[in-house]
Amino acid sequence: MKKFFVWSLLLASLSMLVACSSNEQFDLNTETKIVVGLEAAYAPFNWSTPSTNEFTLPLDGHPGVYVDGYDVVMAKMIADALDLELIIKMVDWDGLIPALLAGEIDLIVAGMSPTSERAQTVSFSGEYYRSEQVMVIRINGGYQDATSLNDFAGARVVAQLGTLQDDLIDQITNVNHLEPLDTYGMLATALSTQAADAFIAELPVAQGMVAANSELKIIQFEGTNGFTVSDEEVIVSIAMRQEDVNLLEAVNEALSAISDETRQTIMSAALNRQPNA
Amino acid sequence: MNLLLSLPPKDQFFQTLWYLINTYSSFFIRGILITLLLSIVGTMGGFLLSLVLTMLRTQTIDYKRDSRIKRWMIKIGHIFADSYITVFRGTPMIVQAMIFYYGISPLRLFWWTPLVAGLFVVTLNTTAYIAEVIRSGINGIDKGQMEAARSLGFSRGRSLVLIIYPQAIKNSLPAIGNEFIVNLKDTAVLSVIGVFDLFRATQSATSSNFRVVEGFFIAAIIYLIMTYFTSMLVKKLEQKMDQSKELSHA
Repeated sequence: MKKFFVWSLLLASLSMLVACSSNEQFDLNTETKIVVGLEAAYAPFNWSTPSTNEFTLPLDGHPGVYVDGYDVVMAKMIADALDLELIIKMVDWDGLIPALLAGEIDLIVAGMSPTSERAQTVSFSGEYYRSEQVMVIRINGGYQDATSLNDFAGARVVAQLGTLQDDLIDQITNVNHLEPLDTYGMLATALSTQAADAFIAELPVAQGMVAANSELKIIQFEGTNGFTVSDEEVIVSIAMRQEDVNLLEAVNEALSAISDETRQTIMSAALNRQPNA
Repeated sequence: MNLLLSLPPKDQFFQTLWYLINTYSSFFIRGILITLLLSIVGTMGGFLLSLVLTMLRTQTIDYKRDSRIKRWMIKIGHIFADSYITVFRGTPMIVQAMIFYYGISPLRLFWWTPLVAGLFVVTLNTTAYIAEVIRSGINGIDKGQMEAARSLGFSRGRSLVLIIYPQAIKNSLPAIGNEFIVNLKDTAVLSVIGVFDLFRATQSATSSNFRVVEGFFIAAIIYLIMTYFTSMLVKKLEQKMDQSKELSHA
């Protein structure tokens, strides 16, 4: 009897919680603002800072905390093109898609690659940045002269939880695939503290980290020496709910107006704003 | 960028600490305030709500006098209080935070922010723990007190409210203080839903410079200062209570 009561209580509250998700499309004509979610911990795409500059935007709900980075500049350009007020929310990496589905945010502009797995739950815009996947290692960690993936046989390689990079690790033969970590800060720490030998990152992210930490080094691969990646794995896209088809079209249109040169300029400017030692 | 200092090289631990404290002082202060807010509201709110649970649990059925409806009400109260405590003590707070925050978000309530959700979760969680603390406080009170009160003509309810609860709560105060200390530390898990507590503040402070060990070293010292002073207060409280006990026996 008691058990039955507890279970029915649990079930009732759960069904109440689940039943309420809305299915209405994002209406570009009536909405006045758009909410973008990002980690605020993935420099140079997005990071948090206590100081303001012409690129920073306040982080929603956190007075005194601002976000800067490539994603912030791109999100602002898109919001301007759509004539919407931009609101930026900080959401953990593995909470981004749940937050999008829950209606907490409308767009994910967080350096996310449009993998086919993710595309089953959300829809993706065209690319808004293209880069390559590189290895970051510790100087004097034994892998500083590596030129191909084969040189990493036996290495302890780590990546961020729920990322494409975590899947790429398995392309290295005989690799010691470590448990993924939560943030890129932890990846850098794992390397400095010798808890790992290498991690995989997108080139600009790796560049920012090496600039802040002279113990680290980037290994770029030439030709077929590196990872086998499909096109969707070297680009990052903006994610939104699958029912928001009009929004998808508008975002794609806004993106097509931003040239490749402009994107590169925005990215190198973002890298320059990141602190380096 | 209007930074006062530039990022020191990686091997300079103390300079990096100084850099982080200087550059991100506003983050750390905000993190401390939010952590304190969560712990204070959680412990106070949890205390008040736990009184409700305690009352529900200490109701007894008088089979001679109580009507059928009253018996049912009391039974439902018992079941509610027991299952509440089982569920909230039996699941991690980080899991509760995920379920409540993302479960209620689809309702699109404008006030349902991570901080509100965090306050909500820490309060509900602490309620369950303090209810257990007060229960053991009640168990620690001599049965004779209730018997004496009843024989002096107090009703059961009045004996509970006027005699048993006040003593049980007083005896539980140090344990409730410990619950506050636990909350100071455990609210770090609420950063998972985006609450800008001290943990999240530290993560943000290291989001562009990746000096994670140094950042969390600072956080550890701040946590330690907060818990150390609170446990001193709890100890003082315990000593004071021991003194008053000795006096009353003298």
